[in-house]
Amino acid sequence: METASYPRLSRINRLIGSILEWITIGLMILLTLCVTVAVIARLMGQSFSWYDEIAAIMLAWITYYGSALAALHRRHIGFDTVLLALPKKLRVGALLVGEAIILIFFFLMARAGFQVLDVLAGDTLVSLSWMPIQVTQSVIPIGAILFMICQVLSLPAYLKLTAAGISLEHAEIEEEVETELHKNRERV
Amino acid sequence: MLMAGIFFAMLLMICINIPIAVALAMSGVLGLLFTEGPGSLVTIALDMYSGSTKFSLIAIPMFVLAGAIMNAGGITDRLINFVTAIIGFIRGGLAMVNIGVSLFFAEISGSAVADVAAMGSILIPQMKKRGYSKEFSAAVTSSSASLAIIIPPSIPMILYAASANTSVEQLFVAGLVPGLLGAAGLMLVAYLFAKRYNFPTEAAFNLGRLRETFVDALPAFTLPVIILGGIFGGYVTATEAAGLAVLAALLVSAWYGNLDVRHLRRAMLDGGIQTAVVMLLVAASVLMGGFLTRAQIPQQLAQGILDITTQQWAILLILNFFFLIIGFFLHSAAAIILVIPIVIPLITAAGIDPVHFGLVVTLNLAIGQQTPPVASVLITACSVARANIWEVSKVNIWFVGVLLAVLMLCTYVPSVPMFLVEYFYR
Repeated sequence: METASYPRLSRINRLIGSILEWITIGLMILLTLCVTVAVIARLMGQSFSWYDEIAAIMLAWITYYGSALAALHRRHIGFDTVLLALPKKLRVGALLVGEAIILIFFFLMARAGFQVLDVLAGDTLVSLSWMPIQVTQSVIPIGAILFMICQVLSLPAYLKLTAAGISLEHAEIEEEVETELHKNRERV
Repeated sequence: MLMAGIFFAMLLMICINIPIAVALAMSGVLGLLFTEGPGSLVTIALDMYSGSTKFSLIAIPMFVLAGAIMNAGGITDRLINFVTAIIGFIRGGLAMVNIGVSLFFAEISGSAVADVAAMGSILIPQMKKRGYSKEFSAAVTSSSASLAIIIPPSIPMILYAASANTSVEQLFVAGLVPGLLGAAGLMLVAYLFAKRYNFPTEAAFNLGRLRETFVDALPAFTLPVIILGGIFGGYVTATEAAGLAVLAALLVSAWYGNLDVRHLRRAMLDGGIQTAVVMLLVAASVLMGGFLTRAQIPQQLAQGILDITTQQWAILLILNFFFLIIGFFLHSAAAIILVIPIVIPLITAAGIDPVHFGLVVTLNLAIGQQTPPVASVLITACSVARANIWEVSKVNIWFVGVLLAVLMLCTYVPSVPMFLVEYFYR
């Protein structure tokens, strides 16, 4: 998302963005390795007891770290046609109410996440008994807090675009198309 | 009354552009609050975690990643050259090539928007240069990319199978014949346009050229072989095929010499973000689903419709109409996750095969990608062609007509999509 008008915010966004990017990429690499190694092993007649449990945990981690990154870039699936059709003042008001609801939800999720971590103290995974479930489940409160931070960091740019009546989805498609066209020009 | 209030709140949240996943989860939270009190809110963490660990959905990041690697890996040009050598000599050859390549790309990526951006950015400028109107170029690209979501691998199908608790492998098989029929229909319409507006042909058919382009594109064909051969032959599950597809995509891209770290990093990132966006929706649906189940909403809806009619054709007609309307306003992933858990009890009670219904839903949502205001594939094609969406829609209506005809055929002649499923699995 364009944050050029807010240089300090832009720097923080880039920092958080690149940390989340590397976490997401790392998790994708681990998941890919996990699935491909397990498939090849099974085709060769051997199966790993940890495969299902670990792969599912990695999917959950990709979901929440990737979701925070998607929130930073405002990539979550939404429907902005009605919002953009509202008069400007009402549009901005509705947008702020929406942002507050999102923050309330993730606050509740973080709180519930911490409560669950307390209850799970001492439990371990079934297939890897040295791994505490608290570690794997920590993604819920951490993911929720990261989502809130990213939502707030990307709010000024989102507010500016929406106040100007520009659809985020269309802006994102334009960006994707420009990248592909640029790639083709480079190749030619 | 409570359910109506919660449904209205969810609609309101969606209308002010709260991400659909959050609107869904927040509606679930409201349901919990009003029925079980604040003490039950700890369920949020449990449901949001268990919803994001559905093992069968691991196929999604793997297929998205395989597609992103292939998009960056130089396969598009080789496929275009190969398909041009097969059908380029027909009048309107580039339009035919566009449709043909879409079928191959469907095998690879499973994401219509990514495909249309990657392929359209190469083919649409070429079509415009060769005298095709920008509206026609955008329409043919958009409709063929949408058709591709019913050909395996298909992310909407993986989501449907997880939501309806049915076999994704059978759904993949069910999509093959309708996909080929749809492609033939789109080619026919493109040919009629080409005759009427005198669109050009490409180079004359040449066996040597066909052989040369086939050998060049051969490594890329390993992906359909792994996905289709592996799954249909019963050697691997959809998730395992997805893992192997990533490995094959890496090897093919390396073979073509297009595998650099920058492309790979972007592919991993795109794959991770797309997966997260879809999986957050899935996790949120578990939270809302728990409330719906406790309130017996799906069962009440099923009973309400069965009281009106028990005829399968009438129920399918109602649901087709409903999904077509929903397609105007929702992305396919969101539509599946919101609606399928609610209508599945009705489908079961009416004795409709959930695999057959899954194909019908996917076809409906493919059409939904062509109908504004929410029409991501059409918007992407228009953006590449620099064409007005309404002008493109006037041409596109003919191609959407073909998709509707395939939908009706598959809905009311179940053997069309299901005979391969019967042959392989039953």
